[in-house]
Amino acid sequence: MKSAIRISLALGAGLVASAGLAQTMGPVTGDVSEGAQLYYDHGCYQCHGYFGYGRQDLNNTGSPFLINEDVFRSFLRARADVAPLLPSTSMPNYPANSLTDEMVQDIYAYIRSMPSNRPETASVPTLQAILRSGERPYRP
Amino acid sequence: MKSSKPAGTPVSNEKPNTDQDHTARVNRRGFLKGAATGAAALAVTPAAEAQTPSAFAASYTAPSYQQMQRDTGLLTPPTEQRAVVRPGSDLMVQVLKDMGVEFVASNNGSSFEGIQESIANYGNPPNVMPEFITCLHEETSVDMANGYGKAQGRPMAAMLHGTIGIQHASMAIYQAFYSGTPMILIVGRDDGFIQAHTANDMAAMIRSYTKWDAQPTTLEECLVALQEAYRQAVTPPTGPTVVVIDMELQKEEARDMVVPPFRPAVIEGVDVSTARTIAQALLDADNPRLEVGALRTPEGVRAAVELAEMTGACTSTAATRGPMSFPQKHPLCGPGANTAYDYVLGLEANSPNLSLQRVTVTSLTESRDGMGVGFGGLRIEGARQREGQNNNNRPAGTLLEIDAEASIPVIMGEVSRLMTNEKRRQIEDRKARHAAANQEAFMTALRAAVEDKKKGWDLSPVSTARIYAELWPLIMNEDWCLASPSSFSSSHHMGLWQHDKPYSYLGGQGAGGMGYGLGACAGAALAARSRGRIVINVQTDGDLNYTPGALWSAVHHELPMLTVMHNNRAWHQELMFIQYLAGVRGRGTDRGHIGTSLRDPFIDYAKLAEGYGMKSEGPIDDPTQLAAALQRGVETVKNGEPYLIDVLTQPR
Repeated sequence: MKSAIRISLALGAGLVASAGLAQTMGPVTGDVSEGAQLYYDHGCYQCHGYFGYGRQDLNNTGSPFLINEDVFRSFLRARADVAPLLPSTSMPNYPANSLTDEMVQDIYAYIRSMPSNRPETASVPTLQAILRSGERPYRP
Repeated sequence: MKSSKPAGTPVSNEKPNTDQDHTARVNRRGFLKGAATGAAALAVTPAAEAQTPSAFAASYTAPSYQQMQRDTGLLTPPTEQRAVVRPGSDLMVQVLKDMGVEFVASNNGSSFEGIQESIANYGNPPNVMPEFITCLHEETSVDMANGYGKAQGRPMAAMLHGTIGIQHASMAIYQAFYSGTPMILIVGRDDGFIQAHTANDMAAMIRSYTKWDAQPTTLEECLVALQEAYRQAVTPPTGPTVVVIDMELQKEEARDMVVPPFRPAVIEGVDVSTARTIAQALLDADNPRLEVGALRTPEGVRAAVELAEMTGACTSTAATRGPMSFPQKHPLCGPGANTAYDYVLGLEANSPNLSLQRVTVTSLTESRDGMGVGFGGLRIEGARQREGQNNNNRPAGTLLEIDAEASIPVIMGEVSRLMTNEKRRQIEDRKARHAAANQEAFMTALRAAVEDKKKGWDLSPVSTARIYAELWPLIMNEDWCLASPSSFSSSHHMGLWQHDKPYSYLGGQGAGGMGYGLGACAGAALAARSRGRIVINVQTDGDLNYTPGALWSAVHHELPMLTVMHNNRAWHQELMFIQYLAGVRGRGTDRGHIGTSLRDPFIDYAKLAEGYGMKSEGPIDDPTQLAAALQRGVETVKNGEPYLIDVLTQPR
């Protein structure tokens, strides 16, 4: 089983690493609204933000672990048997008795549906003001 | 308890105040309005009770005219007939005045009522230097002293009521100890009252996480102990000091006892020979550098700037991580024009050549942890091992365990002596090259930060980055202090703001405990109030709920503190711990919120603040409403009133 997981993860990582195939994302089969609720209930938002922007971004990152549903599911399962017992704020593992395959598909669908939200700096006065402030001379 | 012997004549010109203006900073009209309402309620209550007799009604006696006068503050105590003409506590307060202690924060207690009364009535004007700061919890008192001490690099005092006050305050003392914040803790002791509130060795409970303590037995000893407490607090290793003061000493007649003159602390720096060697190395180097960590006081920061400018050394800074470091936007702060440094001097920071670093609290094991409690930082070897493992914190070069701040003036003296005109020209050229390179490096980092922080800019709940981003244009032309720990809100100020003052950012909690933020920010705002400064508090919701009473203190004392709630409705770090463990155990990753979330019901922080009398608004979950709310908040705070904005945020 572990071998199969490793193969899947390696495949996902390799797909992206080789020849820039990030565009060949797999199909989405889950339910977006169900996925949004699961994303919240299972605490994904804590690190990844409600819309994929957080301490660890998910939103349009091109992460190899999001290349398709199989790789994503394997990633969530991968650490179930190997994670250290000490609590950590690292990515938790999600075994099948916690998140079923169907639930994983729903979460995947939600992640894939996340809207990009990075406005042009030139269109945001606050960001422009911040950049201008950097040009000011030092005042003790 | 022995009484002290009168000796000599008073040094101070301060006279016991008998004609004080009690209206200062007190809204008497408002107070009397409240009293009138209370009186009306009293008048109604007995009538209502008359229909349903109760034990209370049967025993109720209306207050006398004299009682009402006293309760409403209209009765002036007779001044000619005084049992004690010059109470010992007046002299204690005089010592605090002489040392420049601006504030004494306290939740009142009978064991220090002598000192409290002296603060309120002694001196002209009374209740100034020190001013009594009313707190609703001792943890807040000490957190305020912590925030003030970090911002100013000097102590204020907190006053604690016996064993129970110490225990309420202990968490905040622990945090201050690990921050190395100088402060004076005055503990009242009253053997004649509730025995559970007193102890033979009162300071023993906190000895292993304070620097120094004394329990004087005479008034003379007490005055000297307060002075020594100040000196010990500001001398490396800096930290909280304790003076336990018996009630009898506060109340005894001092007669013509002399208040001893205060001698400031003498803090040792490098000797002249060592300074000369360092100065020569700085001047001989083609490309010297100063690694600058956290100095002790603003004077130390100014000295570091002067040394950098004298030698044309580029510098690092720790100003984005805590107080008392090199100004971030100074032209010499940055990597400089050439990163191949041929001599690096560490000022409270590591260097591959020579580091000057003061001793820290880890040096106190032998003297302070007599019971072998073994708190983490007190185990020298363990602490150093961890530092080495986690932070790679041991300097590669020579380490001199000596105070950098006290050393800089000696080094500058030698630099001046060794300087030549030719060297001066070289230094000016180098400074110009460094300035241009550092500005370019700063802008490159700023542009990268802006690109990173705009992620999720328009999404709701509000991103924590947007809070810091929207704040900066509003405060960048003000004298500001970010007093709240920022790690839980992802420290976005580090990349977006410019930390140019010794107090720009006050760093973390010290020992990582919750409940610190609001009190520490209020303490920093105490320091800010008379200095034209404003304090920014990006306040996590979990932290606020430990000591919300600090909101009232901020209102009562008119503190310029803008609180922006980082309201993610949970203790998110703990939530992640639980969820991780659930995942490891293969069950229930959807149940991590149990015991870690603040929902059902959600807490309305704007209403909470309003209940304490603070202007507030929110909750705001629409990011487009944020800038205008922050503008209102900044304007209110600049006018001397605290303000709270509840913002519903992304988790981190």
